[in-house]
Parts: sequence; C-alpha cells; structure tokens
Amino acid sequence: MKLSTRYNRVNMLTSLIILIITGVIYYFFIHLILTNKLDKDLAVEENEIRQYTHTYQKLPLPASYLDQQISYAESPGNAKDIREFSYTTYLNTKENEEEPGRSLVTTVNLKGKNILVTITKSRVESEDLVRVILLITLGVTMILLGTLFLINRFVLSRLWQPFYNTLKRMKAFEVTKMEAIKEEPTKIDEFIELNQSVNAMAERVKQDYRELKSFTDNASHEMMTPLAVINSKLDSLLQTETFTEQQGALLEDIYQATGRLSRLHQSLLLLAKIENNLITDAQEIDLKGLVESKVRQFQELFERDGLTVEVKLTEKTLTMSRYLADILLNNLFSNAVRHNVQSGKFIIELSKSALVVSNTGKDFDAKDRLFDRFSKSSESEGMGLGLAITKQVCNLYGYEISYKQINKLHIFSVFFDTEY
Amino acid sequence: MKILVIEDEQALYESILAYFTGEGNVCEHAADFEAATEKIELYTYDCILLDLGLPGGEGLELLSRLKKMNKKDGVLIISARHSLDDRLSGLDLGADDYLVKPFHLSELKARVSAIIRRKNFDGDNIIQFNEIKVDVSAMKITVNDTPVTLTKKEFDLLVYFLSNKNKVVTKNAMAEHLWGDEMDLSDDFDFIYTHVKNLKKKLAEAGAKDYVKSVYGIGYKFTSI
Repeated sequence: MKLSTRYNRVNMLTSLIILIITGVIYYFFIHLILTNKLDKDLAVEENEIRQYTHTYQKLPLPASYLDQQISYAESPGNAKDIREFSYTTYLNTKENEEEPGRSLVTTVNLKGKNILVTITKSRVESEDLVRVILLITLGVTMILLGTLFLINRFVLSRLWQPFYNTLKRMKAFEVTKMEAIKEEPTKIDEFIELNQSVNAMAERVKQDYRELKSFTDNASHEMMTPLAVINSKLDSLLQTETFTEQQGALLEDIYQATGRLSRLHQSLLLLAKIENNLITDAQEIDLKGLVESKVRQFQELFERDGLTVEVKLTEKTLTMSRYLADILLNNLFSNAVRHNVQSGKFIIELSKSALVVSNTGKDFDAKDRLFDRFSKSSESEGMGLGLAITKQVCNLYGYEISYKQINKLHIFSVFFDTEY
Repeated sequence: MKILVIEDEQALYESILAYFTGEGNVCEHAADFEAATEKIELYTYDCILLDLGLPGGEGLELLSRLKKMNKKDGVLIISARHSLDDRLSGLDLGADDYLVKPFHLSELKARVSAIIRRKNFDGDNIIQFNEIKVDVSAMKITVNDTPVTLTKKEFDLLVYFLSNKNKVVTKNAMAEHLWGDEMDLSDDFDFIYTHVKNLKKKLAEAGAKDYVKSVYGIGYKFTSI
C-alpha cells in the first residue's frame, strides 16, 4: 500500500467519524433548543387562557387563535393540576393536512369546575429548520471530505515527488557506471537529508567497488607473475638434461597442476568481469556458424569417446560479445563431453528461440546446485566453474538457462527470449 | 634473428632469454621503461616482446613511441592483464600479437617466429628444415619436392614443431596451441598422440626422416639429432 493511500484512508476515516459525531450532536442540540422554544410559546398561551378565564369567567373562543389550535374538554373525574407536553400530529384546518405538532395539555378552573385545555402548535417550521441545518452540515461534510481527498491525492503526491525521483535514481544506480546520483531539488528537510544520505552511500559503494576492483586486478597480476615464472622455468627445465621416466611423470604432474591453476584463475577473473559487466564488445553473431565451427573443433573429442553427434541447426543471429558466445558454447560442449559415457550421444539443436545441448551420462546428485560455483560431481575433472560462467553469461544477456533430465539424457536449454 | 625482451620480472626474462638464445638468435633485454626506450631508439629488432606493466611507464606508451618513429620492428605484447580492452588497444596501436601470462615458452617462440616470418619474407612465408619445406601462407608441404597432404591440425602441429626445433614441447602446450586455451580441455591429451602419430606417418611415407621424438611421456621434441 502506498504511503499516500494509507495516509488518505486514515485521514478520511477519522474526518468522517468526527463529522458524523458532530452532526449528530448538532442535530440533537438544535432539536432540543427548538422544542424548548415551542414549549415556552405554549406556556405563554396557557397563561393567557388562564388570565382570560380568570378575568371574564369564560373560556376564550378557539377560533380567536391564529397560530395554534385550542380545544376544551371535561376533565375526567374533575382532576386538576394536569400539565404535560407531548409530540402529536394534528389536522391543520388552514392547510387542511396532517402536520406534526407540539401539544400542552393543562387544566383551567372555571367556576369551580376543572376544564381540560389542549393547546397545539405546529412543528413544521422547526422541523424544516432542523432539516436545512442537517443538509447544510451534510453538504459541508461532503465538500470537506472531497477537498481532503483531492489535497491528499494531488498535493501529497507532488510533495512526495522528490522522494520518488530519488527512489527511481537509486533503482537505476549501477556501481559499474561511475556517475553520481544527481541531487533532486527540494526544499523539504527530510528529502534533502535523504538525498545526501543516498549520495553518500552511493559514493561509499563506488569507493568500495573501486578498491575491490583494483584489488582483483592487482591480485591477478601478482598471481599471474609467479605462475608465469613457474611455467617458464618448467619449460626451461625440460630443455636441460635427459630425465628418467619417473622424473618425467613428476614433471607432467607439475605441468597439469600449473595448467589447472592458471585456468582456474582465468575463470575466476572472467566471472568477476561478466558480473561487473566489463565485457562490452556486443555485436551481431551468427550463432549457427559459430556452433558449426565449435562442432568441428570438438570433433577429436567426440571421436575419442566414440560419441554419436546429432546436429539440428536453424539460422539464428544474436547480439552479444563474440568472446562470451565462444565461452558459452565451449562450456556447454565441454560439459556434455566430459560427463558423457563411452559411445554415448551428443545432441545439439538450435532454433529461433533456444539452444539445446543434450548428452547421455550418468545420474548425479545436487541437480539444484548445478549452476553454483565450485559445485561438481566427485569424479568430475573440471573445476566446477564452467556452468557457473555459462549461467553468468546468460544472466548478462537476459537469456534463461535450464536443466532437465529425461531418461538418461541430460538436457541444457538456453532460451534467448525469456518472453516466449 | 634479433629479439628484445622488455620484461621486469627477472625469473621470467631469464627463462625467455635462455629459450630463445642459440641457433643464431641474438636476444637483448630491458627491465624498465627507460632502458627499453633507449634500446628501441638505438637499435632495430626483428621482434620486441613487450610487457605492459613496466616500472617507470606504461608498455603501451613504448608501443606508440615505436610507431611514431616509423620503425618496422615486430611487437608481441605479453601481459598478465587478461583484458579485452588491453588486447584491442594493443593491437590498435600496431602490435602484431598478444599473449597472456602465464604462457608456454614454446607458444611464445611459435608466435615470435610467425611474426618474424611475416616481417622478413613479405608473403613468401617459407620454412625449410632439411628435406622438409613448408610454405606457411599457401599451407603446402613438400618433402624432397614430394607434396604431402596434411590436415589443418597436422599442419599447425608441424609449423609449431619447426618453430621449436630441438626443444621439448609439452602435450599441454600443443593442445592449447591447437585448440585454444579457453576450450577447458580435460587433462587427458590422448588425441594429441593421434595427431602426432598421423603426422609422423605421413612425413615418413613422403620419405622424410623421423624427426619427432617422444620425450618422457610429457611431450615431443623435433630434432635432427
């Protein structure tokens, strides 16, 4: 939920509740005041009738009253001191319709006899007044809520705009690109502080990245030099004297170890480079041609293991680094050959949407860790980086790589367009 | 041929000098930017091996100075920086080739020989070894004027051997030369053996002597002795 929505909801809800409570209280008080006023008017009339009866010793004519209706009746059981107010409806003779009214029933003493007098006054005007007041209150409430809503919606979102801009820039921030996050012009202290913090953080991240990068560069250089020395000294050693069979075997082991070490090192550097998006020579690649040449390149390896090779290719071009395309194919091919069985199968299919490399091979564990670094089966001769690199290359270009096993066939698929 | 090795790592340049010296080659060496500049200005070399990270200056700067002087020396960059940028800028500046550390001395020798052949024979790119004659640009081989048909791999192998005459060349180096170091091959180089066997057979059939000797199971040596 967005902050403004949440704020809006709370704001509107409390406003609505407060306004309803105010409206109800308002209504009751006005009602009370108006009823009080009516009761006072009725009391005045009652007083007039009493005085008239007292002075003239007769009851005033009901017709002489214009604004109220008066009726007389025998007091039941000659009861006196009856005095009660009540809400009634009565027939307004002038308008000839039922109207709400307020009545006062009281007694008057006439010649020792108690007469029951009912004075009724119309309530229509006060009801109208209350209604008008209620409507005005309701109207004001609506307008107020509407205004609040609009204010929240537009002013608030404009107020928060610098925040969203900063957020957008943070999302677009890439550590490898060396530009700073631009300051978002704002006069609000919180946002100014946010901006400053974000910029400071970005600066720190970049600084760390630069240090790490230069560390990797230096480490690579420093490590490569002794490796190069070992290699060259081995080559030189080989030229000196004749060796025994046993010495030869030892030398071969050293050669293989240094070879693996330098390959491992290059793989790690390559991974770091892909992750940091430092390989930028993207170009149009004829993938079909590349796969064909790769099949030729691997011919000896296929023959050595007696693999049956099936190739199904369609024309396909991709925009990517030629170097990485080569590495992608190399790794998929090497993997399929390395984990194959004698006289097994190697199948490669290239369609418009995907490259699928399948190979026969033994069952293995840790299928979910297949693309992790240094994850490899115990009998594997590889370093466990090939598929990790392959995955990184796919990530870089937004391809999707997946693995599945059908019967004895291990299938690696690279989908070029993940939208399909 | 005359070669200048510009490299600051003593152990490394010693090996290179030892490997290249002999067979009428003259090798000189410079360990820093200044010494290298002096040598480049004073003398002319068939090939210069240039390390990019030098004390006292950038290796690429030396390269551009060399090109400004209009010198025709061949340049092979050797660097620990496995970076495409450096590779491209080095080649853009006019280097003939680029080799990344660590490398096999036999590979270095093969590349230097290729550069020198291209420089010296201007299209007439021929290696003669006793009765074997290799026309590298036309990819033709004759033994005593009898043509021999080799596959691409066998041909590359023979040129590689000829560039490293009288040296032990490891199977490892041969595999990397023929298939590239990015192929991530397993450590089993049996298929090298097949290629060498075929090459030996074809040369023998054309009447050449057996020059390829197997050495302690590690590699091979191409030698007339």
